[in-house]
Order: sequence, then structure tokens, then C-alpha cells
Amino acid sequence: MLTLILYNVTNGLMLGAFYVLMALGLSLILNLSNVINFAHGNFLALGAYMALELTKVIGFWGAFLVAPLLTALVGAAVELLMRFVYRRDPVYSLLLTFGLAFVMQGLMLWWWGPTPQEMHMVPALEAPVSSELFFITWYRVFMVGIVIAAVIGIFAFLRYTRVGLRIRAGTLDLDTVSALGVNVRMLRTFNFTVGCLLAGLSGVLATGAIGINPNMGDDLLMPSFIAIIIGGVGSLTGTLFGGLLIGVTAALTAAVYPAASEVVIFVMLVLVLLIRPRGLMGEEGMLS
Amino acid sequence: MTKISASGPIARRTLLRAGVAAGALQITSPFILTARGETPVKIGMVNPLTGVLSALAQSELDGAKYAEAEINKKGGILGRPVQLLVEDSANDVGTGVQKTRKLIDRDQVDVILGDVNSGIAAAMGQVTNEKKVFHIVPGGHTDTITGVDCKWNVFRVCNNTTMDTGAITPELVKRFGKKWFFISPDYAYGHSLQEGFIKALKKLGGTYDGDYLPINNQDFSATLIKAKGYKPDVLLNNMGGLTQINCMKQIVQFGMQKDMALGGALFEFETVKALQPDAQAGWWVMEWWWDQPKVPEVVKFVADYRAATKKTPSARDWFGYVSMHTVRVAAEKAKSVEGPKLALAMEDLELPPDVGLGPLKVVYRKGDHELMPAIFVGQAHPPKAGPEDVYTIEAAIPGVEAAGPVEETGCKMVHPA
Repeated sequence: MLTLILYNVTNGLMLGAFYVLMALGLSLILNLSNVINFAHGNFLALGAYMALELTKVIGFWGAFLVAPLLTALVGAAVELLMRFVYRRDPVYSLLLTFGLAFVMQGLMLWWWGPTPQEMHMVPALEAPVSSELFFITWYRVFMVGIVIAAVIGIFAFLRYTRVGLRIRAGTLDLDTVSALGVNVRMLRTFNFTVGCLLAGLSGVLATGAIGINPNMGDDLLMPSFIAIIIGGVGSLTGTLFGGLLIGVTAALTAAVYPAASEVVIFVMLVLVLLIRPRGLMGEEGMLS
Repeated sequence: MTKISASGPIARRTLLRAGVAAGALQITSPFILTARGETPVKIGMVNPLTGVLSALAQSELDGAKYAEAEINKKGGILGRPVQLLVEDSANDVGTGVQKTRKLIDRDQVDVILGDVNSGIAAAMGQVTNEKKVFHIVPGGHTDTITGVDCKWNVFRVCNNTTMDTGAITPELVKRFGKKWFFISPDYAYGHSLQEGFIKALKKLGGTYDGDYLPINNQDFSATLIKAKGYKPDVLLNNMGGLTQINCMKQIVQFGMQKDMALGGALFEFETVKALQPDAQAGWWVMEWWWDQPKVPEVVKFVADYRAATKKTPSARDWFGYVSMHTVRVAAEKAKSVEGPKLALAMEDLELPPDVGLGPLKVVYRKGDHELMPAIFVGQAHPPKAGPEDVYTIEAAIPGVEAAGPVEETGCKMVHPA
């Protein structure tokens, strides 16, 4: 029994690591720009498709490096549209990204079709680490390693670089940052691009576990939002813990009552909103 | 001023009446003058063109469109052109029902086809029955559609889950053993399928365990950990569409196929093609297969279909194709496209060989409105003779044998007065 619990906790942490990567990108965009990016899951799918095409030309490792960057470039282009709605009611950005999600999905469906596609992995990565720990493949270890590196990278960037400092300051008071002479437009563009880069990276990593299709990001988007709310809007550390928490909870529920493995994260969301609306590490008033 | 006489200038009212009559003639005359043959027979298809079942839905649509062109080339249905109208149910019951109502009420379709999702198909059946519109379910498998919830206006092309499970279970038990583990989706189809398997397995003295998972489930690790601990003879992947692909991927990544046999009911052509070679494995049912060299009609159909669409037809393409031609054949028999007349014409209707496209007779059974084709049992494998040679038929089971008697389906068909 203990072994089973340990197995499922380990499994949950790996699943949670993936949610963390998705949620961090979403959180970055939300914190600075106050934009709820409903198209974030579609950027994930775009990253996966780009990796699929690039693998044919520059191999898996080349695609792994280039696909997120290309996704980020598309994100930078899309951010130009966001400029029209920054000063408006947040509903406008919500509607814009919602519409963008449908447009992106439709374009991917039109170009690549509905038939799922498979990306060929490096064979060595697909094997389990041992017969005992059969559910931990080298690919999953690799994925967790990348997520850890990405998280450390993002936190270090925000903590120790000038641009990172400006982003952090901007999440608290963008008007003052602007008044101090910082080019807020460029800051927002850069921040949005980094968010999409993380989505693209998530998409590339997802190809190792699930088939590539235009809808692949849809079912990962809601857990990402929930991770942000549970962790606390405005807190990247909270998002980190929120992602891991929902991953572990979903995995343990799947071990006991699999049919409820999806709904349990919504139950957690409701409980957090009722008991501590600002989330585990959020600040008062951030949700509004 | 002189009084207007009958032979004098036309009265204002007369002029107005004449004007109204002339205007009415302008509006109505096309309908009067146009032959009935120019009014198309409208067939509405509702399918999940977006979502986890989209690839399967698209294939059904491809088959239906191919049939539409074929039927129209040969003069249509009862001399009238066929028009296929398509709506996306987005894999959601509410949306599917709303789109069905829209097709019937606004677009005035004569026939409804759909849905791949069994739950949506069942809900659509309620609407079409209420509206007395003829309804064919090309690819929704749950038993209740032609079982306890059977309706006089609803017919089904694909097998029900009892047929699929009844066909494959003896083969899996004979080859691998009786201890099974199920991974099934938690909706109408998944429950129906697993119950069908359990019923067939128990008859042979088997034991089982399993999990129901959300239809969109992406991570199967927890269930596979449980399956590994159970040590079954056969691991059955009953998921559908994209989730079946993801499940197979993870089964193979975890090396489960080394310890247990893989199998299940449906492992569709679209799904098999999307997998890497090491995941193209296991024993499965195919409801129709393109490679039937001993059936000349199939050979011709596949060649023509490939030429027209640049793809090899799957069972789903065949479902869409058969559905459209069924309407044609039934209308020719009934000399009408009215729902009740089509339904009566369909009962015990044998499809011609160039539509049935199989080694055995293909008939719509009167008692439950279920199509009875041959059910293929065989093995999936990496490509052999070509990239699409990913399945080998080991046996063709008559559908009527696998289905069992009508009395056991629970269907009590009631026709309208």
C-alpha cells in the first residue's frame, strides 16, 4: 500500500511539474498585463506542431531548441493585437484571447488536419529507468529536469536581471514604472513572448506523452488556471506550488477513484475560493 | 364626376387585388412551376468535428461526402439532388441537440445522421423521434441506441458494443487467458463496452478489474500502475480517439506489452496509423477493413475512393458512405423520404453488395434496426506490405451471431400509428 502511495505521489509530482510550466507562462502574462490568455493552450499545440515539422529537418534536439523560440515569435506578433485592449475593460482582452483561441485552433485544424500525429522521440528516452519504476521513463525524467531548469531560469531572470526587476515592479504598479521612463510597451511584449515561449516548451514536452492534435492544449489550460488561483494570483511561487499540488491530488485520486481525477481539481478550486480566495501565497485583492 | 361603370376605368380595389395576385404569383410560381426533382433531399449530419473524436468524425464526413457526389452523379434520390448539411457537435451533448434542432427546424432536413459520441447520438434520437425525422447513427456504439432506448425512426450502421465484445472475447480468452484489466472511458460507450466484455468474459469463467477514466483523460500512469499490480493476462484499452492513442503510447512506454497481451474492441484505422510501430499491436475488432482482396466490390470501392479523396477508406468512411446510400436505397423502396415510410422500408433491408462492401450479407435487422455486417477479428501490427497494411483479419464473424437475439437487447420497437 505504501509503495502504491509513493508511486502515485511520484507520478503526481511529475504530472504537476508539467502543469507548473504551463501555469508559469500563463501567470507571467496575467500578472503584468492583466490578460487572461485563453489561447495559451493553443500556443502549446502550436509549439508541438512546430516541433513535429522541425524534427524532420533538424532532428529532435534541434526541434526541442527551436520550436519554443518560434512559438515565442508568434506570441510576440499576437501581442501587437493586445495593445488595442490593454487600456480597456479586462473583458475585452478575455474576448480577444478567446476568439484568438478559436482562430488558432481552426488554422491548425485546416493545415494539419484532425488526425493525430506522432513525433518520433529519441529511442533511449522512451525506456523506463528500471523494471521496478516502470512508470518513470527517461523521457519523464528529462521533462522534469527541463521544468526545473526553466523554473530556476525564470526565477533567476526575474530576481537578478534589470528586465526581470522591471517586470516584477510592473506587476505591482505599472503606472509608476512607466513614469520612471521604462518602455512599458516593450516590457509587455517581452513578457508576453516569454509566456508563449513557456507554452511552446510545454507543447514540445507534451509530444512525448500525448499525440499531437489541434485540441491538445485545451485540456491542459484549465488545470493551469486552477494552479494559478490555488497558488495565488500574482505569485509565481504560489503558481509553482499550486501546479504541484493539483498534480499530486489528481494522481492520488486517479489511484483511488479514477473517474473523479478531473473533477477533484475543481473541488480544490472551490474550496480555495471559499476558504482563502487569495490562494495559498497570493496577496489580498489580487483576484479582483 | 361620372360614376365608374363596369366597362369603364378599373376600380382602385380591383387594381389592388390584381397587384396582390400578381405579386403572389411571382413568389409562388417558382414553387408551382419547378418540378419536385429540383428540391434537394436534405440530409443533416451532426458530428464532433472538433474535440477528441474529431479524426473519426471527419472520416465519417468524408465517406458521406463521397457518397453524396456518387448519388448525385447517378441522378440523386427519387430524381432529386442530395444535399448534405453538416454541423459540429463539438463533442458536447447540449451542442449536438441544439444543432439537430437547427437542422430540422430551420434547414428542414429530411434525414439526420450522427453522432460519433454515443451520448450525443442517444440525445439526438430523442429529438428526431419527437420530430418524426428519420435518423441514422453511423458510428455511435452504445447498446441502448438499438436496445432499451430503441426508436422506430432510429437505425444504426456501426456495431453495438455487444456485437464487438461478443466477437473478440472468445479469441482473446483462447489465445491469452481469462484474467483481464479494463481501461474504459467514463461515458455511455465506455460503460456499455465494459459491461459487454464482462458479460462475455463471465460466460467463459473469467475474472477482471479495471478503471473508468474521464473521456478526455491524458495521463494513464495511475491506472497503469494499478494494472501492473493486478498482473492480468490481457490489458484492454477501451478508450476512443485521441485518448486511445495516448493510452497506447503510455502502455508501450511503460513496457506493459512485455508482461501482458493487449487488446480490446475498436482500434480504429485512424488511431492505428497515428501510432509509432511499437504501439501498433494487440488483438482488436475492425467493423470494416479496406483490404478484402476476395471481395471485388471492396477492391473497386477502395481504388475509386483513393482516386477521388487521396486517402484509403477506414471503417468510419464506410459508415458515412453506407448511411447516405441507405437513405437512397430505402427511399427507392418506399418511394418517399418521409420518416415513417423510410423506417418501414429499412426494416430487414439488405444492402446491395456495392454498398455493403463485405464478405457476407449486410442487413438492417427488423427487431432493433441494427445493421448486421461481418465483424472482423484480427491483429494490429507495424506496416507490412505498405504503410496502411497495419491489420490482418483472422476471422469474419457474422454480426447476427455476435449480436445475439433481439429479445436479449431489450428493444421493444413501437411504430407510430
